[in-house]
Amino acid sequence: MVEPHSITNGGYTYIHDVDKGPIEAIDTHHVIARRNAAKSVIFNLSSFILIANPLFLFFVKDKLAMALLWSLILCAFFVKLFFQKPIEKESVIIMPAFGVQLETHYRSGRIIRRFIPIDKILKAVVNECVTPVTCYWTLSLIVRGEEELTLVFKEFRPPLKLLVPIWKALCAATDSADNPDAFTQEGSGS
Amino acid sequence: MNEKKGERLIVSEVVVMTHAYGNRSGVRYMTGGLKVYYVPWKPFLMQNTLPTFYGTLPIIRTILIREKISLVHGHQAFSTLCHEALMHARTMGYKVVFTDHSLYGFSDVGSIHMNKVLQFTLADVTQAICVSHTSKENTVLRSGLPPEKVFVIPNAVDTAMFKPALERLSTDEVVIVVISRLVYRKGADLLVEVIPEVCRLYPNVRFIVGGDGPKRVRLEEMREKHSLQDRVDMLGAVPHAKVQSVLISGHIFLNRVFSSRDQVLPDDMIVLAEPDPADMVRAIEKAIYRLPQVDPQAMHLRMKNLYSWHDVAKRTEIVYDRALRCSSQNLLERLSRYLSCGVWAGKIFFLVMIIDFLLWSLLRLWQPDVDIEVVPDFDPVHRECGDFSGDMEDKCSQ
Repeated sequence: MVEPHSITNGGYTYIHDVDKGPIEAIDTHHVIARRNAAKSVIFNLSSFILIANPLFLFFVKDKLAMALLWSLILCAFFVKLFFQKPIEKESVIIMPAFGVQLETHYRSGRIIRRFIPIDKILKAVVNECVTPVTCYWTLSLIVRGEEELTLVFKEFRPPLKLLVPIWKALCAATDSADNPDAFTQEGSGS
Repeated sequence: MNEKKGERLIVSEVVVMTHAYGNRSGVRYMTGGLKVYYVPWKPFLMQNTLPTFYGTLPIIRTILIREKISLVHGHQAFSTLCHEALMHARTMGYKVVFTDHSLYGFSDVGSIHMNKVLQFTLADVTQAICVSHTSKENTVLRSGLPPEKVFVIPNAVDTAMFKPALERLSTDEVVIVVISRLVYRKGADLLVEVIPEVCRLYPNVRFIVGGDGPKRVRLEEMREKHSLQDRVDMLGAVPHAKVQSVLISGHIFLNRVFSSRDQVLPDDMIVLAEPDPADMVRAIEKAIYRLPQVDPQAMHLRMKNLYSWHDVAKRTEIVYDRALRCSSQNLLERLSRYLSCGVWAGKIFFLVMIIDFLLWSLLRLWQPDVDIEVVPDFDPVHRECGDFSGDMEDKCSQ
């Protein structure tokens, strides 16, 4: 069995696992969000301050402070929600000649899986996406019968260096499905 | 070269950044591999207000870092994206070039507002490009920029579209073409006096007047008064596509200009006159006299060589080179330039730049420069990628 190969970049850790099954190797690519210890400390602290402040006010004046207290607790709640990603890990499991399974593992333990048969995948593409505040790379699949691209990573935005090996693996799997004899064919243009 | 742009001079790569248009949004590659970012930024209702000013800072910073930009070139436009991009680029320490196209005047409210914004942008620009010498004088006076920093590169003409007629017109009859808006500013009143005089002096001269406007009535009246219906053709408004065909039906083109486009034509191709009917008649006489020596095809070839886009590009590259060699100024020196813009305007500009600098510093704390991924060198034409072995496909983003 091949040793799991891992790269860490940009707040994410990428682990590549190859499982030598009875017939074909199953290629698993995991992208795990790294918990930034410093960030968690800062935001826990700020949340605490947000809650502590109105409590202090409460002891000095009354009615106004109650309203302040509730609004600030709400703020703190949103801060926690916003800054802590609920997703722990996203995985791509490539089963050659069979299909691709996309998994999303939440911190709460919930796992969402989506399977796409290999003959439905036309191509895996890496796109540059532009938003009003930023620009990032995404890996998507062009699926037969669907109008929109299927994002491989729903919530995560891994850096390009982590996306490329997964993209290559996906291309290799889809191309070998098209051409069962040419197993080592390079990903070619449309 | 590009609108609201950034570019790398080392390998002469150009990246264009602009607003999204309709559903054209994201990254597109144009012919030749030109990369264009259509940023989906919808400005607030009043396009020029401060809230939009700092809003584009994150995306501009991201694009400048990921494309390894070394110089930002902004073209004058009503869109605030250009001015914001230049402001943020200066805050972040990039060299900035601004091209002043002088497309509007000074009298209406929109123009007055825009001129103030322009003064702000020009206060701290590395180099500036103007499209004529008069425009350069104007810019230098308005902004206080030292004249050595302002270059003149006239716009090229679409010489492919404006070709002379294949057959030369007969010289028995001289046709003078006027195409302009028939308003006071464009000298329509002068036409009313010049046309009858020229027609009287030269029986073989005909006029073709294209264009519409409030003064058209006066021209029609003049035509009737002097019975010039067969010698003066009033065409009315001429659609842009038909302009060339109207122009080639004449020998001489008569026009009144405010800006110095006249300065960009060689002396033998143009005759200038004061805005005075007698002087204009004298100038028309001179032009008619010169007519037999004129060869339209030769003239066209000369213009083609003088005003080609290749020439403009070469000259623009020289400006870029000069800009990159300029020394970097520190924050205090730059900020003091803004204070000299005006009594209260200077202070506002100063404040705007200080806030921009603070916001940029905060942004760098939040997301350090090293966290922004640099785009790998990628040649979309040949589909070759420098950093990664094998092809990397890139499609237009949704």
